[in-house]
Amino acid sequence: MTSDGDLLHTVTADTISDARRRTGKAMVWGSALLVALLALWQMAYETGRISTGFETWRPVLYAYVLWAFALCAAQVIVNGEKGKRTLFVLPAALFVISLVVFPLLFALYISFTDWNLASPNGPQPNGWDNMREMWNDGFYWNALKNMVYYVLAVSVEYVIAFGLALLLNAQIRTRKFFRVVFLLPLMLSPVAVSWMIGKSMLEVRFGPVSRVIRELGGEPSFFGSPEIARFMIMAMDAWTFIPFMMIMLLAGLQALPREVIEASKVDGATGWQSFKEVIFPLMLPVSVTAIVIRIIFKLKLADIIINVTSGGPGGATDSVTSFIFREYRDRSNVGYGTLLAIVYLVLIVIFVTLLLKLVSRWMERPA
Amino acid sequence: MKVELYNYIRAAQKMNRRQMLKGTAAAVGAAAIMPKDALADGHGNVRAEILKIPGVGAGSPTDSDWQKVGEMCLGATKENVAEGEFAGVELTFMGLNNQNLHNFLFRGFLKPWEAYTGAKINWIDLAQADYNARLQQSIATGTVDFDIIEMGAPFEGDVLGKGLASEMPDWVKEQIDMDDYVDYLKAPVGTWDGKTYRVSIDGDCHTFAYRKDYFGEGGIGGAEVPKTWQEINQVSKDLVGKEDPLTGLPAHGYLDPLKGWGGFGFYFLENRASAYAKHPNSPAWLFEPDTMKPMVNNPAWVQAIQDVMDLIEAGAYPTDQINADPGTTAFQQFLAGTGSMLMWWGDVGSSARTSDTSVVGDVVGFGVNPASDRVYNAQSGEWEDTMNEAPNMAYIGWGVYVMATVEGDEKKKKAAWSAAAHLGGKDLSLWASAYPSGFQPYRNSHFQFEEWEEAGYDRAYVEDYLGSNADSYNHPNAAIEPRIPGIFQYYSVAEDELAKGYAGQYGSAQETADAIAVAWEKITDQIGRDSQIAVYKASLGL
Repeated sequence: MTSDGDLLHTVTADTISDARRRTGKAMVWGSALLVALLALWQMAYETGRISTGFETWRPVLYAYVLWAFALCAAQVIVNGEKGKRTLFVLPAALFVISLVVFPLLFALYISFTDWNLASPNGPQPNGWDNMREMWNDGFYWNALKNMVYYVLAVSVEYVIAFGLALLLNAQIRTRKFFRVVFLLPLMLSPVAVSWMIGKSMLEVRFGPVSRVIRELGGEPSFFGSPEIARFMIMAMDAWTFIPFMMIMLLAGLQALPREVIEASKVDGATGWQSFKEVIFPLMLPVSVTAIVIRIIFKLKLADIIINVTSGGPGGATDSVTSFIFREYRDRSNVGYGTLLAIVYLVLIVIFVTLLLKLVSRWMERPA
Repeated sequence: MKVELYNYIRAAQKMNRRQMLKGTAAAVGAAAIMPKDALADGHGNVRAEILKIPGVGAGSPTDSDWQKVGEMCLGATKENVAEGEFAGVELTFMGLNNQNLHNFLFRGFLKPWEAYTGAKINWIDLAQADYNARLQQSIATGTVDFDIIEMGAPFEGDVLGKGLASEMPDWVKEQIDMDDYVDYLKAPVGTWDGKTYRVSIDGDCHTFAYRKDYFGEGGIGGAEVPKTWQEINQVSKDLVGKEDPLTGLPAHGYLDPLKGWGGFGFYFLENRASAYAKHPNSPAWLFEPDTMKPMVNNPAWVQAIQDVMDLIEAGAYPTDQINADPGTTAFQQFLAGTGSMLMWWGDVGSSARTSDTSVVGDVVGFGVNPASDRVYNAQSGEWEDTMNEAPNMAYIGWGVYVMATVEGDEKKKKAAWSAAAHLGGKDLSLWASAYPSGFQPYRNSHFQFEEWEEAGYDRAYVEDYLGSNADSYNHPNAAIEPRIPGIFQYYSVAEDELAKGYAGQYGSAQETADAIAVAWEKITDQIGRDSQIAVYKASLGL
């Protein structure tokens, strides 16, 4: 039992021999070496530099698992009690690295190959070819341009959601009933929405909406022209997700300090003044959070588009995700599709970071 | 037979209760008086007897029916395999589970085969939507974990082109009587690089469906049903502003799907293009076999695209046609009374009377893919003013293949081929073409209409409807798609470019076609031009 070191957080302080330390380190480095050797060997085999190797990469995976266990065990062997504390976090960290970081690196590798599932040669690195192709790909840039429109539509959704939240926050009859009713669209899958509304109610010939328009003397066309088709997609998506923003804003409204609002009324503020000068500024942090989360949702927009328009007419409603879906599913174009996804991921990260930076000054409630 | 077709025939015949009881009684009687062996060995009347199971109009067949049919059709297997010969052999079969058919039937058919031979079959059931991805991933990652596969012929480039399948032994060819196949399923479409791999269990083609009430004396579409694409376009333009005789809504002519359908939408431009582009002097009409240079931007294809653009320009399509995929044109438009002409697979004819939303059941007629009064000769680069007809064998049909995983184990190999041969047997396939199975007739013997009549079918209908299929299958100038790897990638990217063209984003039909050609060249380069050329030639039998 030692009397030095961190005694406050130590239950039992054990004396660890040098031999034990050496064993622990040897376990870690030995198994790491095994992983590295197997990986190098397999890589040499796959690239045709040596003639013997494993049929699959599975043995390398097993060696990695062995290394992970050795690393965990070595913590206790080398550090004793302190190592046990590390063990609370280490497996989770390794798990995350295995399931997030590795696949991401693998995806990065794939995105610089010409991998088409139909190709007999499998993935072959092709340098910056995919990047160049993306640069010249009218479909991708068109989809990105559409994403700008789709994201801008969030501002309109926000206004509607705020209005609805204010209404539901007011002392009206059957308030609870309306809260539930307004939430219903959010509970529906976008796939169901696209079929029920996009492909049934808006169906040009026998859809009920079309019939009403025809009865009124109009000629229904919901997905015929680019602008209207894009608007219809926005509307269906908005219908599904406005309740989400609304519920966040409603929660914000209900958390507002009543005394401030009442004080403004005592000071003689009108309803509009009270909203403009008190409620809205106080709601800014919630608003920004709701908008940012909604934008992130919006950037993933695909299901409604895939089901209703397949990106048409002429790409007017295509989103990046729905385009990547076609590259992947219909064309088995794994390399290029992955590159597009990675580039999109980078764009999203940059965009959201800038956005958060930009709005950070509104994120805190004014004093 | 497709389920809808079966239901349609039943509805069309308006089979009464007595007939139904008669059919059922006959089937029960036949089963009761025949001992098992006699059923299996009774060659002479096996065909007539299996058609009584469960009896036309006696409800949908069930697993016990499939097993009975499998049992009665074991005769051919017994000639080549001794009882218990495959004891201890385990095979894995990968196939589809569409509409609870395909693998569900195969299980029943093969159960008596398993009992007789002693082999055991494990099943991998896939939904249609998952099928392609599962197959491509198995191939790409080298994890082929099945010995027998049910596969569409267009995928042969992916599988046979990579040497993943086992070549058919001669005894199997004899057992399944391949000479009986309809013409287009024989060599070279029935072979790969001169070798045979596919046990055909299905045939596919697009046929022409039209509204009889539009045509004839006093019909708004004219006295005659259009026979060429030129006439179809003229009629479609002339119908603008007229009223549909059935629904009172605006009348329309031919229905082109202008929206993509995961690659399958391209078949519908092919219907138009085949008449212009498929010259009898060459089997190639999509790519030049020596270079894989796309032919899709030659004058023939441009004409087909131009035809569609002309109809868009003339306002001949229903509103929002730009958002109509083939499913919409068939089931939401044609069957619901919008439009008067359509090309589709067999389902449209069969759904005409049975579908709740169909209003055209009594006024629909069928024919082969319309012709063209001129054809483009790609070899001379000239148009020729001769009438040309080229039915589009869209998707070619399903087949059963044995994978190379069985090579090296003779017992297993024989077992796998025996199972495949059993499923593609001449008699068993007659039953599959007459009852709901998901498969169409594909043998000349399937078109012996007296057999159908004897089984209780309405001869006039069967002859009229299946006749258009038989004529297409045996057409000397049938247009066959290339069985090359990634063929649906080509179709899919073409759909994207066509959508742009139809939306007016390209200056002309030629520009649209050129954009498709550029995209196709990219895919060819990505998959590997040399390997594609080799595979394409192999598929054409060159």
